[in-house]
Amino acid sequence: MRRHFWRKATALLLSAVMTAGVFAGCGGSGGASGKGLKIMYSTTTLDDFRNLLLEGVKSAASSEGVTLDVMEECSTPDAQVAQIKQAASGGYDAVICLANDPTTALQLEAVAGDLPIVFVNSLPASEHLEADKYMYVGSQERDAGTYQAEYVYKKLGNPKELNALIFEGQPGHSGTIGRTEAVKDFFKDNGVNANFVFCDYANWSDTEAAERFEIFLKTNQSFDAVFCNNDTMATGIVKAMESHGFSTADIPVCGVDATAAGCQSIVDGGMQFTVYQSAKGQGEMSIKTAIALATKGTAKDVEGLSDDGTIVWVPFEPVDASNVKDYM
Amino acid sequence: MKKKDKKSRAKTPGTTRRGRTRKIKDKLLQLIMPAVLITIIVLVVISSLLTRSGMQEMAEATLESSVANQADNIEAWLSENLENFSAIKLAIEGVKPDDAGLVQLLSAFVGTNSNSSNGVYAASQSGRVYVGEGADLSISDPTGQQWFKEGLTRVTMAYGEPYQNADGTYVISASGIINDGSEDLKVAAADVTLDKISIIVNSGVKMKNASSFLVNKNNNMILAHRESSLVSTTLSSSSSDPVLAGAYEKITGGDYATTQMGGYTVAFEEVDGTNWVLVSYIANSIILQDVTKLILILLLVGLVAVIISVLIRLIVGRVIRPLASITENIAAMSSGDFTIKVHNTSNDEIGVMGDQVDEFVGSMRNMLSSISDESVKLKRQSDNSDAVSRSMFDASQTQEEAMANLNHTVDELALAVNEIAQNATTLAMVVSDTKENSDKASESMKETVDISQKGRADMEHLSEAMDKIQEANTELVDSIGKVGKASEEITEIVGMISDIAEETNLLSLNASIEAARAGDAGRGFAVVATEIGGLAKNSAESAQNISNLIDQVRALIADVVAQADASAQSIQENSELIAEAVKTFDTIFSNIQTTSDVIDEMIKGISKVDEVSSNVAAISEEQAASADEILETSKNMVEQAQAITASSQDVADNSHELASTSDTLTGYVQRFKITKEEGSDL
Repeated sequence: MRRHFWRKATALLLSAVMTAGVFAGCGGSGGASGKGLKIMYSTTTLDDFRNLLLEGVKSAASSEGVTLDVMEECSTPDAQVAQIKQAASGGYDAVICLANDPTTALQLEAVAGDLPIVFVNSLPASEHLEADKYMYVGSQERDAGTYQAEYVYKKLGNPKELNALIFEGQPGHSGTIGRTEAVKDFFKDNGVNANFVFCDYANWSDTEAAERFEIFLKTNQSFDAVFCNNDTMATGIVKAMESHGFSTADIPVCGVDATAAGCQSIVDGGMQFTVYQSAKGQGEMSIKTAIALATKGTAKDVEGLSDDGTIVWVPFEPVDASNVKDYM
Repeated sequence: MKKKDKKSRAKTPGTTRRGRTRKIKDKLLQLIMPAVLITIIVLVVISSLLTRSGMQEMAEATLESSVANQADNIEAWLSENLENFSAIKLAIEGVKPDDAGLVQLLSAFVGTNSNSSNGVYAASQSGRVYVGEGADLSISDPTGQQWFKEGLTRVTMAYGEPYQNADGTYVISASGIINDGSEDLKVAAADVTLDKISIIVNSGVKMKNASSFLVNKNNNMILAHRESSLVSTTLSSSSSDPVLAGAYEKITGGDYATTQMGGYTVAFEEVDGTNWVLVSYIANSIILQDVTKLILILLLVGLVAVIISVLIRLIVGRVIRPLASITENIAAMSSGDFTIKVHNTSNDEIGVMGDQVDEFVGSMRNMLSSISDESVKLKRQSDNSDAVSRSMFDASQTQEEAMANLNHTVDELALAVNEIAQNATTLAMVVSDTKENSDKASESMKETVDISQKGRADMEHLSEAMDKIQEANTELVDSIGKVGKASEEITEIVGMISDIAEETNLLSLNASIEAARAGDAGRGFAVVATEIGGLAKNSAESAQNISNLIDQVRALIADVVAQADASAQSIQENSELIAEAVKTFDTIFSNIQTTSDVIDEMIKGISKVDEVSSNVAAISEEQAASADEILETSKNMVEQAQAITASSQDVADNSHELASTSDTLTGYVQRFKITKEEGSDL
């Protein structure tokens, strides 16, 4: 009950902040211009969402006049460490980093020398973040899970009990942990006896999710809803369900990210719900934060800054059939 | 020494004065003592506050680091074992053995992991159990077991909730589906006891005097605690232990920030990969033990400082006590009492000082009495000099007035001379201007003479030209006369020609008639006669024409002669007029010449005047300068006379002052007491 209240309060606060932000925007506050700045973008292997994020970063960079060097995608933490090391000696003003493994944050910070790093999308441990130096730009992962659970709860008519499946992303990823925990906590807080009859990692992959789903079917258990940590896995599950004759209209499948494929699936009657993680917003805010750190040495004027000044939150937005057109 | 000091003080009169001296000393001490006390108190308070917050912060940081380290250790231990189990499960999935093969495979791992001596075991949905040989394990109703149910929800092995096994010990099982493709799903599992985790929780605390306990946040059960009776009990808000009650509130609220509760500092840390929260706490009294010690030490130091300052005060008081009597004597001296007698009873530096003071008082007494005598003499002398200076002042004043009169006269003289000089200068300037103007007039006059000379010459040239014209005219008339004569001769000749032509014509007529008679033989002659007749006619006509033309010429010549006569006459008239003009020019020229000579004479005269007036101006300027010098000199003299008057005034004042000073001096000297009425001490 309390968590529910807080979530509502947070939502209210967020909308208030956003409204304020809109007015501030009308006032012409704007971001610092990044003319003449040189910023490196280091990313882990790309997928649908990460491509959107990359596009967001690129377009924000060009509209701010920043010289952006997009490095080759890193398939290992070592490759990323090597890239950041290169940034330290390459005359860059800041690094935007989509970490291959967020637990390597400390090492990345060490090799970056004096360069500020803006971690984006994949959250490092809080002790490795530092206001105005090592910042994070992303969305409150828990919000995504809460939105999913809230939708399913309403959709199934506020049940007292349900069987649910959870397909998680990559072990240790902030998205995996936050989204999964928020789903579980929502039902616990609302007094619903939720049986997570299957809950396992599928590493953001549709085929892996489908394969795990096949194994689950062998347990001969019924299920009322499927929660996926991202849209890619959700579309894999939708396909697998359809091939086994399950009704995706009765059993809601939820994803996160509102990718093109995810939104199309909602239009086509596959997935029912997704959460828009603003790849554009994250890209834009990561560029703005990097510019603020490189030019003013502080991100205190950046919108959505957390109380401790280490994180810039980009809000999630719930997407279902009623508003999916807005996200396509 | 102390005894002597005391005696000297006791014998000295004037205890009220000693009281005043002491007051200054006490005043200083009264200021210093509280200042020292306040400084000490402030220091103690500030340093204890600073130390307190510093210690608190440090303790919180240490506690957080300790609890994080413990959680990491638990996590590492769990994941190490989990990896071991997962590897075995992976091996099974890779080999895909039959039932017997599976048991054989599991047997190979029994006893290989000290934390899980039974190794990995498995059960299928259909109820078959696979346990390695040598494992001390009996499983009935496998599908009803917690580990099986948990394992059925995942392929990736993970730990489930802790539970009591058949032996009654608390264990946690890692379990997951064996993904070998078979339809009858098998779940692999392995158990670890909580003992090892309890050891990490209870003995792995990295902060001295801190304690930890582990809670399952799903059901608030305590999994590990130093107090073994609390293990497997449930946290609740009603717990008598403030840390347990507080931890319940925080864990259910999901707030894991370090906090203060019931005199304890408490830190929380979630153990990743589980639903556990590790809680670590330490009593604030332990953290602040050192602060209390520090405050005690500071207070002690402060106390010692106060004692030392009191001691210093006493010692200083003792040392300076003998000085008091000398101070009193000096005070008496300063009020003019030189009748005092210093009683010296001490043989140290202070005693010597007393003797010296006594000697000083004696010599001062002698000196004062002689000063008194001298000052009376001085007064008399200064009165005399005052009178002298007064008469001198009067004399100098008279002199000053006389000088001032003289000065006035010289001043007027100077003014008059200056005026003359100015007038002379003006005159010289006027004359100089006049000379310049007349020079200019002379030059113009000369130019006029030159011009009129040139005019006269031109006139003469004109007269000559006129004569030449008259001659030419006369010649012209003569020539025309000759032409007239020639034309008359021509007329005669033409008349002759005309007669000849008429005769010829007659001849031709006759010839024609003769020819006609001759007939044909004269036919040719007739033609010639006709021709000759024609020629004669033509000649007659031409002669007539010439005659006409000559008549016209004669008429024209007559006109020319008439006109030439007219022009000759007018030339004659002109020549006369010109001669008249030349005469007039001559008169003008001689007049101008006379004027120019007069002007030259005048200029010579003016030049002489100019020289003279310049000389006059120069002389009168010199005179004026001399007059100014005289004036300056007389002014100086007046000033000097004034200065002498002022000086004599000063002298008078000074001698007056001297007289009053000697009065004052006498007054002062009389104020000193150098004889005692009683006379007993002297």
